Amino acid sequence: MEKVEEKFEPKIAAFVCNWCTYTGADLAGTSRLKQQTNARLIRVPCTGRIDPVFIIKAFENGADGVLVSGCHPGDCHYNAGNFHARRRWIFFKELLDFVGIDSSRLHFSWVSASEGKKWVDVVDGVINSVREKGPFTQYKKINREFEIPLETESKL
Amino acid sequence: MNQLIESAKDIFQNNKAAIIIGYTKDKSGRTKPFIAHNSDEAEKLTFNHHAVNNLAVYLTRLEKPKDGKIGIVAKGCDIRAINALIQENQIRRDDVLIIAMNCNGVVENQNEEFSKENTQIKCKYCQLRTPNNYDFLLGELEDFELPEDSQQELMNKLEAMTPEERWNFWESQFGNCIKCYACRQVCPLCYCEQCIVEKSMPQWIETSSTTRGNFSWNLIRAFHQAGRCIGCHECERVCPMDIPLTLLTRKMGMIAMKEFNYKHGMNINEPTLIGTYSTSDNEDFIK
Amino acid sequence: MKSFIVTRSQINSLAAELLSKNWSIFTQSEDRKRFKQCESESEISVDGNGKPSDVSFKELFFPKSETLFYFNRDNEELTLLDPAEPGTKTVIFGAKPCDAASVPVLSKVFNWDYNDEFFNKRVENTIVISIACSYSDESCFCTSVGLSPFSEIGSDLFLIPTEKDSFILKIVSEKGEKFINEFPFMIQKEFEGTFDLENQKASFPKEKFDFASVKEWLGKNFKDEIWNEVGELCLGCAQCAYVCPTCHCFDIVDENCGVSCGRRVKNWDSCQFGLFTKHASGHNPREDQSRRYRQRVNHKFNYYKQRFDEILCTGCGRCTRGCPVSIDIAQVLEKIQCKQSAAIV
Repeated sequence: MEKVEEKFEPKIAAFVCNWCTYTGADLAGTSRLKQQTNARLIRVPCTGRIDPVFIIKAFENGADGVLVSGCHPGDCHYNAGNFHARRRWIFFKELLDFVGIDSSRLHFSWVSASEGKKWVDVVDGVINSVREKGPFTQYKKINREFEIPLETESKL
Repeated sequence: MNQLIESAKDIFQNNKAAIIIGYTKDKSGRTKPFIAHNSDEAEKLTFNHHAVNNLAVYLTRLEKPKDGKIGIVAKGCDIRAINALIQENQIRRDDVLIIAMNCNGVVENQNEEFSKENTQIKCKYCQLRTPNNYDFLLGELEDFELPEDSQQELMNKLEAMTPEERWNFWESQFGNCIKCYACRQVCPLCYCEQCIVEKSMPQWIETSSTTRGNFSWNLIRAFHQAGRCIGCHECERVCPMDIPLTLLTRKMGMIAMKEFNYKHGMNINEPTLIGTYSTSDNEDFIK
Repeated sequence: MKSFIVTRSQINSLAAELLSKNWSIFTQSEDRKRFKQCESESEISVDGNGKPSDVSFKELFFPKSETLFYFNRDNEELTLLDPAEPGTKTVIFGAKPCDAASVPVLSKVFNWDYNDEFFNKRVENTIVISIACSYSDESCFCTSVGLSPFSEIGSDLFLIPTEKDSFILKIVSEKGEKFINEFPFMIQKEFEGTFDLENQKASFPKEKFDFASVKEWLGKNFKDEIWNEVGELCLGCAQCAYVCPTCHCFDIVDENCGVSCGRRVKNWDSCQFGLFTKHASGHNPREDQSRRYRQRVNHKFNYYKQRFDEILCTGCGRCTRGCPVSIDIAQVLEKIQCKQSAAIV
């Protein structure tokens, strides 16, 4: 049989704030804008709610890339949630870079509720960048300890 | 250290503090933490080049004495930890009596004599040789040129690597971790009543000591120190597997310096970095 | 049992032959951190002089994380799968007597009301070749818990260095005898003399406390000032328990690997953690560090003796060497012994 080479399709976890980006993504949908479908959206109340441990958890569960998106500075529904988040990200992205998870896997954006078009551009951009980078084999390798070993499975 | 014993006795006699956290020498000659409760016990206090422990860790661990302040013997780096705890509203300045020691560097290995070369890494880039917040200041500050900072070389080497090489470096380091949590317990700034790794609904960080579980533990621990670590190097000293943990926290400190020109624990009146924000923070990386 | 004279090069050829037959070989790493797997015979260390590794070899029998089973849910059907059996034949070269002695001690608890098949399988598959120890520092106290630098308990084969690169190889267990008989080149020169142990005793670490009095005191004094003294200094990490050759508490958790599959895993745990005894109600019977430290000492020197007639300590001193705040367990026990002596007078 001819071996069909499977094309790599990245899995993206997108943490989006309820008030801006989620609504913006919704607008993209209702406006019937075309976008790639590799991103799974996870709706959180505010970017300030996003604990960096969420991002690590996403990688653990097989994400090849992560997008974090919320309201533009000054637009936060809770006034300052995104300002606090921004300061944290400055550290967190450098920390991940320092252990070898570079910025092609972790993306940040501001997308407001009216920016359906920007959402499409952002999400397509992220997906393309991760697709170019390829699957996150390093994290998948350390995940393997948890997976059912094939030799055990075949015994059944 | 007669000067120290005398002041400690004076403190107890005049009820200036209920206990004094300090160092003592045990039967086998180890210099180790010790808590004096009265002026007899104060006789046992000492301070020398082997007084490595950061005693500020006890300020949040010990029950507050009912009848007075907690006295604490502190070197420059310990004072930074005390300042940080005050900045983070964990202790009040009025509750502690700081007996500051002018420090000329400490040596980790109890069997090694002090020399400029074998000081702990933190002394090689010491940032607070002269204590800046104290009730008493003891000891003489010797003229002393900071030795070469060997950790900086490693840091530069790591930064020059590709992300893949850095990942491999940390994978082999974190693979060794046995999750004894000594790094957490010894850290003066790890004072949460419930650590995130103990939160089990859901279990954010896996308790398994596998490379994956070790990665998330060490990354999140380092992140929780972002802009907060005062560089006492206790985590790295106590790590039974010798993981270079301070590289991570030092990196976080370097970013705090570069982006915000901020050093934690230098001034008790300064607001904390991570607890505040500015509308003009850098956002070049955000689309 | 018989003894033989062997040379360092014979030991190396033994290791080389084992490697060619796909045995796993472990030995103390060069930096004396832990036991590492060797890839060539030149890496093995049989060195009586060196410091005990920072982490004991317990993880070769009782790994820090061990899968009990895997689970997988396919549609509504749940399947459970056993992990691969720990089947690799293993030899540990150059274990310290204080390492080896932990195996029989652990065997008792792992075969108490339940036989831990993973542990037993590993013990069965492992040959421990220990070496007489000539190292001692201020933290060592094997002689106080009934062992010595020449104690053979738990070893299958025992090496005593005689002159440079030459050793007496004592066969200690039947398993060891069966093993070594497969390698005839190791048992060519029988050692006929007697080894004078009395001569060596002067260099043994000095006995720091009398175990019987310590146990007696512990049995009678649950509440005492001494626990507060240590408890207020102890920071409550588990470094002491994790480097210990005999500490064996574990915690069982489920971990996922995606949406529908995962594994149940057994991880090291320690009585020094506050969470170890915390009830779901929020109540914690061992609510402060002094109680937790009391538990540690009592378990090692009182309860375990009562239940299994073994001391849960081999006197290796690892906990003391690694303690972030230099708590010396031998000094604590010395103090306890003084209290007991004072009570008798």
